[in-house]
Amino acid sequence: MIQLQNIEKVYRTSTVETLALSSISLDIAKGEFLSIMGPSGCGKSTLLNIMGLLDAPSKGQIKIGDQKTENLSDKQLANFRNQKLGFIFQSYHLINDLQVLDNVELPLLYRNSTAKERKALASEALAKVGLANRMKHFPNQLSGGQKQRVAIARAIVGRPEIILADEPTGNLDSAMGNEIMDILMQLNQNDGTTIVMVTHDENMAHKTHRLVRLFDGSQVQ
Amino acid sequence: MFKHLFKLIWNKKKQNFLLMSEILISFLVIFAVFTLMAYYYNNYKKPMGLDYENVWVVNYNNAYATKNTDSLNTYYETMRQTLKAMPQVSELSFCSDNTPFSQNTMQSGMTVKGKKIDHINNFTIEDSYDKTLGLKILEGRWFNKGDAVAKNKPIVINDELREEIFGNEPAVGKLIGDDGDKNKMKIIGVIQGVKVKGDYLPAGFGQYSRADTGSFHWFGKIMIKVTPDADAAFEGHLYKTLANYMKNSDIEIEHLTNKRISTNYFAVVPIIVLTIVSCFLIINVALGLFGVLWYNINKRRGEIGLRRALGATGKSVSGQLVSESMLVATLSLIVGTFFAVQFPLLNVFSLQAGIYITAIILAVIFIYLLVLVCSLYPGKQAAAIYPAVALHEE
Repeated sequence: MIQLQNIEKVYRTSTVETLALSSISLDIAKGEFLSIMGPSGCGKSTLLNIMGLLDAPSKGQIKIGDQKTENLSDKQLANFRNQKLGFIFQSYHLINDLQVLDNVELPLLYRNSTAKERKALASEALAKVGLANRMKHFPNQLSGGQKQRVAIARAIVGRPEIILADEPTGNLDSAMGNEIMDILMQLNQNDGTTIVMVTHDENMAHKTHRLVRLFDGSQVQ
Repeated sequence: MFKHLFKLIWNKKKQNFLLMSEILISFLVIFAVFTLMAYYYNNYKKPMGLDYENVWVVNYNNAYATKNTDSLNTYYETMRQTLKAMPQVSELSFCSDNTPFSQNTMQSGMTVKGKKIDHINNFTIEDSYDKTLGLKILEGRWFNKGDAVAKNKPIVINDELREEIFGNEPAVGKLIGDDGDKNKMKIIGVIQGVKVKGDYLPAGFGQYSRADTGSFHWFGKIMIKVTPDADAAFEGHLYKTLANYMKNSDIEIEHLTNKRISTNYFAVVPIIVLTIVSCFLIINVALGLFGVLWYNINKRRGEIGLRRALGATGKSVSGQLVSESMLVATLSLIVGTFFAVQFPLLNVFSLQAGIYITAIILAVIFIYLLVLVCSLYPGKQAAAIYPAVALHEE
């Protein structure tokens, strides 16, 4: 589903050159639930951003599905992210000025869907994460776990084939973290969604199909 | 997307309140400026109603101190013949002090059929006044000697006064005057309105009365139409002739073309002042808008990064920010337009509705352009935000 070949990422300033990722090659199968672990600053999020086409590698190739991504235009990349990928972030990234339902509808705004369709899909996604009764709430009226569930609903509303989760349980206590993890596992098992999750939590990582460890930008496991 | 943006702005109405107020105040000031401009332009495009080229105005006073009207008339008749004998003098007319492009006004009002008409400019003139100034008769005729014995005082009115009193009906032959007045005046002609206050102000209501034998007691102006070859030497000669004849008088000769220029200058002073003030205001608003949008973008980097991650292109992010600004402006303009339309509806300042409507349209376009220009660059900056970096910052 996702193929990374010799991915290298170098951050350059006028004086310093920092190697963030070095020769990463990964092949993630369709329906796989993969976790990435490693100490802070080892390049986990950079790798996830590259997989999510939010950042371009300095070297190497990415193939998602049958699509090579290096020559895609800004518009094509945006469209690809919208159709194929769902994102979950540690700090939720909800828009506080929009109600929960509007937050979940966000990815659908960049598609040719009607307001009625958007509402139906968003309601369905919220029901899936157990927040059907919180549609009209604003994010600051929700707990951390609920916010992350909204973020999951937003990630799945467009029915993407891949979900990229950057420390989805990082800001939550263990009980809420487990709840979120259960939702992700259900999505993986029931819908066959491919999930790549960056985590610091060994317990969470061991619940996934495969664990990749990074250290200083290199893959060590 | 429109509904989404509207929700976003509506839910942030407290944060947007100051910006919306700033745009609203700017709109109202711009509306005032454009109203004045539209009013001036509307007046400017109307005909002057007179030919001011080669017309000189002679100001005199205390020329011949006598209470005897016959002697006075003879004195001025002799002067008239002396002036008319000069080859450069085509025509002349003694008249009241409210000559075109002067600061003098002589106004009255009357109530016709219960309708009160104020600010009617009264001009007392001679039979040659129309030829001296090239007035355009639209209906009826100008004065002649026969009018001296008319039963009802003959008057000529301008088109503006005719329309005010009679609408589209003809006016010649009709008697007008205050409802209670038994001595009605008879309209013998209608002329095109003369813009006596310059190009930018309206002709107003005008009523012309024929000078009688007693008028020379208070007259102080002579309008002289000269030939195109009348030069400074002739002006000097004219001055000497008049000074010799009216020995005790202070005589001044002015050119109507110069008086028109200075009158126009004074008329545009308010608009220049208002424009300068509004320019400062607009610069402030522009900087404010620019600053607020710039601040918003920095505050919303996470949201921008998120939108990019969810499928927005750089262009659509930029477009969204510009659209948000335009929507905020629209809300302000709705409120502003509500206030602005009260002016034509309530007939404030008695201006034509078309002037206010033109000003509203121009002010709306101006504000939209201002907001567009101010939001384009911040929008472009937003489009350049790198999503991976923005999402990581949050």
